[in-house]
Amino acid sequence: MTSTLVRQAQEWSVFKAAVVKECIHDILREQLSGVQYDPDEVGVLSRSLADCIKDKLKDVGFDRYKLVVQVVIGEQRGEGVKMAARCFWDADTDSYAQDIFMNDSLFCVAAAFGSYFY
Amino acid sequence: MEEFSGEEGSFNSEEASNSVKECIQSIIGEESYRQDTVNQWTAKIVEQALTLMVKQTKSYKYIVSCAVMQKSGAGLHTANSCYWDTVTDGSCTVKWENRTMYCVVSVFAVALTP
Repeated sequence: MTSTLVRQAQEWSVFKAAVVKECIHDILREQLSGVQYDPDEVGVLSRSLADCIKDKLKDVGFDRYKLVVQVVIGEQRGEGVKMAARCFWDADTDSYAQDIFMNDSLFCVAAAFGSYFY
Repeated sequence: MEEFSGEEGSFNSEEASNSVKECIQSIIGEESYRQDTVNQWTAKIVEQALTLMVKQTKSYKYIVSCAVMQKSGAGLHTANSCYWDTVTDGSCTVKWENRTMYCVVSVFAVALTP
């Protein structure tokens, strides 16, 4: 039964990491170029970026996929940051993509996870 | 970001949140931020958190992400946006800190078809 479901997944648009990474990269560059870290606004900015990326991915056409988009924005002060993720899913159909944007005032990490809905 | 508070038969975010807090405490509770070990810490935290989630044996796919940041007076914001079934799927985000670092762990649970 798994192979039937996987074949169906491949007939639909599979969550291609390269395509998604490019979408994320374009959105981050478009919305964050020249932006300075402002503690009052960055909360709203990170939420709007996450929604924007999620909407763009819906338009790209991953019809059978549930999407989770996570955006982390931090101030650049020379501190160390490490981010990791682990997923328990079906490796044949599910995938993720991430991209990082940095300028001298802030850094932004955006990750999009796609989980196939059978 | 508002946390999804689960209804019956859906993801129990409170229980997940407590398990994750204990998990973080056990791995980095007494530690100070060190650049050469932070890799191992984040890997251990996500692996252990994921194992705890899977042990609940509900039919869910899980995504666990963890960010550890040194305390330097800088600000950090996380946001997430999800396209899923709000009845069955859910998430929880845990913020933890000690004297030298912050840790933010997010758990997303996506239901498999019943």
